[in-house]
Amino acid sequence: MDLKELKALLRLMEGNDVEELEVEEGGRRIRIRRRSAQALIPQAAMLPVPQATVQAAGAPAQDTAGLIPVESPMVGTFYRAPAPGAEPYVKEGDIVQKGTTVCIIEAMKLMNEIEAEVKGRVARILVENGQPVEFGQTLFLLEPA
Amino acid sequence: MFSKVLIANRGEIAVRIIQACRELGIRTVAVFSQADADALHVQLADEAVCIGPPQAAQSYLKVAAIISAAEITGAEAIHPGYGFLAENPHFAEVCEGCGIRFIGPSASSIQMMGDKAAARRMAAAQGVPVLPGSQHPVRDLEEARRVARDIGYPVIIKASAGGGGKGMRVVPEPDALESALATAAAEAAAAFGDAAVYLERFLPDPRHVEIQILMDGQGQGIHLGERDCSIQRRHQKLLEEAPSPALTDALRQAMGRAALSVAQAAGYRNAGTVEFLLDERGSFYFMEMNTRIQVEHPVTEMVTGVDLVKAQLRIAAGEPLPLSQADVRISGHSLECRINAEDPDRFLPSPGRLTNFRPPGGPGVRVDSHAYAGYVVPPYYDSLLGKVIVHAHDRGEAIARMQRALDEMQIEGVQTTIPFHQKVLRHPDFLAGRTSTRFLERLLQEQ
Repeated sequence: MDLKELKALLRLMEGNDVEELEVEEGGRRIRIRRRSAQALIPQAAMLPVPQATVQAAGAPAQDTAGLIPVESPMVGTFYRAPAPGAEPYVKEGDIVQKGTTVCIIEAMKLMNEIEAEVKGRVARILVENGQPVEFGQTLFLLEPA
Repeated sequence: MFSKVLIANRGEIAVRIIQACRELGIRTVAVFSQADADALHVQLADEAVCIGPPQAAQSYLKVAAIISAAEITGAEAIHPGYGFLAENPHFAEVCEGCGIRFIGPSASSIQMMGDKAAARRMAAAQGVPVLPGSQHPVRDLEEARRVARDIGYPVIIKASAGGGGKGMRVVPEPDALESALATAAAEAAAAFGDAAVYLERFLPDPRHVEIQILMDGQGQGIHLGERDCSIQRRHQKLLEEAPSPALTDALRQAMGRAALSVAQAAGYRNAGTVEFLLDERGSFYFMEMNTRIQVEHPVTEMVTGVDLVKAQLRIAAGEPLPLSQADVRISGHSLECRINAEDPDRFLPSPGRLTNFRPPGGPGVRVDSHAYAGYVVPPYYDSLLGKVIVHAHDRGEAIARMQRALDEMQIEGVQTTIPFHQKVLRHPDFLAGRTSTRFLERLLQEQ
């Protein structure tokens, strides 16, 4: 599935006011969920084109209700740990406080530590180590704690 | 040639640049703020990166966000369009420092021409006529009085770091100098972060005529003739044409040579525009140089057949100029109307959803626009909806064609300046080619 097909799917969803779409084709599956306040380009579109499988851009509606998103404040590359080979800042299930560093976003050779804005438990990690991210992209979902 | 270019802009010019890239087989990366998620340039590009919230300062003007977007997408070059970071020497420098080609001149050329007083001195040093004026920004009221007496009233005060009509004040006689100096300096400081102002003789009713130039990386330069942009409201151009009704071919060649000598002295590269004022006697005076592609570039494209944006991409990729001065031919006449989402009487912005957008078509009509039916015009950026450009055999036919095209065009949901253009196109002074920078002021007073 390439970028053009992804964009066509998105237009289909938008035109019919569909919030969530899942397509399975030849062993590959993509699930796209629209978030009303954000860009319609799915996070998966940020990956370089040669990617064979596309990551799901969100979770089913019932799973995200009540979860607090941690969004990227900048454009850059997402890293889970302070350095290659080091322990990730957080894992699923960890409790974070307001101000806890949860990841690094590298932009223009500068490593920016991204902090949680609220206290919570890490419910989902939505991006992979080394993945390019855009402004406003959801990186983590936290359960209020 | 580049395989991937990032367009650091939005709106109609981003669409224009994407069009040129696609025709050259270059992959495109769009950047967008959260207010532009549905924008046409985002839909047309091969890849798109959200770079920030709606405010331009946190998105389209944010150097780090744009460079970061280029790095994560692997873009080799950035086209800055016009406005935003297009004439920001720091941005050009950062691009080069990060190994990304900036599609335009060098950071030092941008810097040089951005200092308007210094650009004047450079033009004068090349023997290009400049209006009598101060060599350097004036230090204080005393110096301003002396300079103004030497130049002769009326004088105009202009911001050295400026443009776009801000930080300018006309001073008709000596008593008005002190307060005009204070307000111009304050405006300049607020708009450009630099209160330095210089003085120039004020021409009461000139034409604004600018010359398009192209220079390659091997020091070769050509000019592509002029554009007459006299129809302006508060120094904002509204309607442009090529060629100018006031120019003979001899004057065109003289102005072209003058423009190139300024560009060459600045070590310029890529597309640029040298602006002149023309008085009633046909004498021309250097005003400033714009180191970017301009909004009104299409009228030059129509009469010369040269695609200026493709030329920019080619020059930036290291290619030599596609043609020599002898190859440049001006053919027919072209007009452009800037269609703004504004109230046509008071020119106040009119954002909102376009319930209908039906551009005109037919022979000799071109529309450069990012608008479409259903598009929501955001309130955060300029109000330009698009440009309607026509080309025909002569000025009379071009005017009839533009009248026809604007009558045919339908835009609903926002107010537009189309009714205002229709008035201009029927005004006897416009039809007779008797336009100057005060034409609009007079037309608006007649109402």
